[in-house]
Amino acid sequence: MRIALAFSLGLLLTTALATAQQRSFVSCPIVRDTKTVPCFLAEYEGELYYLGIQQDITSDFHPPQLKHEVLVEGRVAPGPRICGGIPLQPVSVSVIKEVNLACDTLLPPEPGIDAPAAPRGAGPSSRPLDIERAPSAPLTGAHEFTLLYSFNDDYLQYAANSAVNQAAAYARKIGASKVKVSGYRATSVLSNGNRLVEKTGLAEKRAQNIATLLRGLGVSNVAVDWKQDAEPGDGQADASHRRVTILVTP
Amino acid sequence: MRKKLLIAAAFTIFGITLTVSAQYQGARSLWVEPASNQVLPDRDAFDDVDGSIGVVNASGNIDTEGHPFFTPLGTNGRACISCHQPAWGMSVSSTGLLERWRATSGKDPVFAAFDGSNCPNLPQDQESSHSLLLKRGLFRIPLQWPPRNADGSKKPVEFSIEVVRDPTGCNTSSEYGLKSADPVISVYRRPRMAANLKYVLSGAQPIILKTGTLADLDPDTGKPVSMNLMTDAREPTLKTQAIDAIMGHEQAKAAPSREKIERIIEFESQVYVAQVAHVFGGALAVPGGPPGLGPLAMQDHKAGVLGDNDRDPVFGTFAAWRGNDYYRSSVARGEDIFMHRQFWLRDAAHINSIGLGNPLKRTCSTCHNAQMTGQDLSAGWVDVGTTTFPTWTEPATWADSSELPVFKITCSRDADPHPYLGRVVYTTDPGRALISGRCVDVGSIVMQQLRGLSARAPYFANGSATTLREVVDYYDRRFDIKFTDQEKEDLINFLAAL
Repeated sequence: MRIALAFSLGLLLTTALATAQQRSFVSCPIVRDTKTVPCFLAEYEGELYYLGIQQDITSDFHPPQLKHEVLVEGRVAPGPRICGGIPLQPVSVSVIKEVNLACDTLLPPEPGIDAPAAPRGAGPSSRPLDIERAPSAPLTGAHEFTLLYSFNDDYLQYAANSAVNQAAAYARKIGASKVKVSGYRATSVLSNGNRLVEKTGLAEKRAQNIATLLRGLGVSNVAVDWKQDAEPGDGQADASHRRVTILVTP
Repeated sequence: MRKKLLIAAAFTIFGITLTVSAQYQGARSLWVEPASNQVLPDRDAFDDVDGSIGVVNASGNIDTEGHPFFTPLGTNGRACISCHQPAWGMSVSSTGLLERWRATSGKDPVFAAFDGSNCPNLPQDQESSHSLLLKRGLFRIPLQWPPRNADGSKKPVEFSIEVVRDPTGCNTSSEYGLKSADPVISVYRRPRMAANLKYVLSGAQPIILKTGTLADLDPDTGKPVSMNLMTDAREPTLKTQAIDAIMGHEQAKAAPSREKIERIIEFESQVYVAQVAHVFGGALAVPGGPPGLGPLAMQDHKAGVLGDNDRDPVFGTFAAWRGNDYYRSSVARGEDIFMHRQFWLRDAAHINSIGLGNPLKRTCSTCHNAQMTGQDLSAGWVDVGTTTFPTWTEPATWADSSELPVFKITCSRDADPHPYLGRVVYTTDPGRALISGRCVDVGSIVMQQLRGLSARAPYFANGSATTLREVVDYYDRRFDIKFTDQEKEDLINFLAAL
């Protein structure tokens, strides 16, 4: 009985702590120039949060855009402020599609405000960051690929684009008997309690788009389904629910 | 005299043929007429505004007699050569066209009513009816609306389009306009270089980075294509482009034979063009100099290579010219500006909007990244702002002198809007959107090669910049770069050397 109570209290405490560390909000991004690359920040309830720096298209972090609000979903990370903001890590950044001209804050460099080391500088580069990533183990058997999306978006960011190519290559290699594409849309629960629900039809659109890509990449036996209802949000891992899965079965 | 001497010096490094060409350039006719049955040398050069442009036929001398590139295949007397002239970098310039108008009293088939005039229903003997071609080098491109799939079915379209201004009268014409029996939208565009094409065709990826959709396929091979051909990437291959041009620009009644198309492609695929001399700098492509200059470098270099800002720049290293004489030092500084001078690149659809962030602190070479041409190595359509209000190249306020049509695009509520202009966009050319039907593509234009620029003004797809200075000034204003006069001069010298 005591053990169960202690476990329950521990679970509640852990959940409360996680909730306390989670930040989900919509606001205008702020761009802070530095001596090197610019930092991208956003303000919520009077506090400034650091989202990331300008990088390459192959990066996991895709910066927000001025002229647009941004949905930020991240966890407060330990450590000092970066570029003047409390770091969020991991963090998901979704550009809200409609133009908002009020989002136009670009700050000049200031002494003492420096960006973290940038993997690359200006100009084109034949050294995409992907090259430095550890090679993944060879795939065997049934494998599920997961593609993540920004809120209310069906655009394939670089990582998802790569995953589609990988899934297609694997399916072709093993002569997959079935490739099942499943699309989802999701709900984001904001820190202020508001709920944002992705638009109706988006799960189908995401799934159909991926199925079209796979067929175009020479994959046969592609089956498509989607979940009409939005995944319920919990304010913790909502970004991971905006997805398409590709299950490749030998 | 000075100019001639310097150009002659350039020819001596380019070959005997060029020396002869230079000496007799003043006497020979530069305009190659269709069916003129001449032999084009394997290496040639022509005066341009900054020095001379070099043309290499890698397969050797070209006998044009009966050659389908040089022979009219349609009904209006034009051939491919009409709009892709060696002396103008395998394109045409507005000054060359004006000279041709005067030499032929407007009878040359390049001025054909169909697309060599502002609209076919205008009096064709009047210069004013061809003003866009003569002033800006623009041909009318009539595009069916809505766009069609390969099987002829209508593509879904995310926006409505209205004609707001129609200075040529063509878009509101009951015969040729948007409300005609077969609705057409007329936009006006510069012809692109039919040279250095191995670079233009390289870089194909199955999924287009900028859209996350499948790339168009070569109908013959089934393989993805680069989608960097033409202003709007509407044709996937040289073959389909040639057929489209012959059926359209040459007004043919039947498609050309396979053998003719193959000969056209064979010719286009072996022509290389680049600047070879500068009036003050003399020969550009010389041993020990920058390795990326001159048409022979274009011929020899590998295609499909992404430039690297530190190790392997877009146009090769210019280190040999640093600290050299005034001109060469200026060109080297210009190359450094192109590769390294940072500015805030902002509100450019299909650059900032593809996950790179807005704004982006980068350089010219971020977008102009493909080695040797400075095109985009991925499918290269971008709305940099030249065709869309308020950053367009046309007058910022109402002006009766405005020469281009203006369209109002209204995006549907369920479509993604233009990322920086929203759901209502005013544009002189919707660009890629006229092919894709997508709102996010409004105003997006495929980047052009940056080679042979001095021979083929005016610039931009809409011919709005008469000089390279105007090009640089546009970018300076558009991105608030704050170039110094010296930086502008250096960048212009660099671009003119390409």
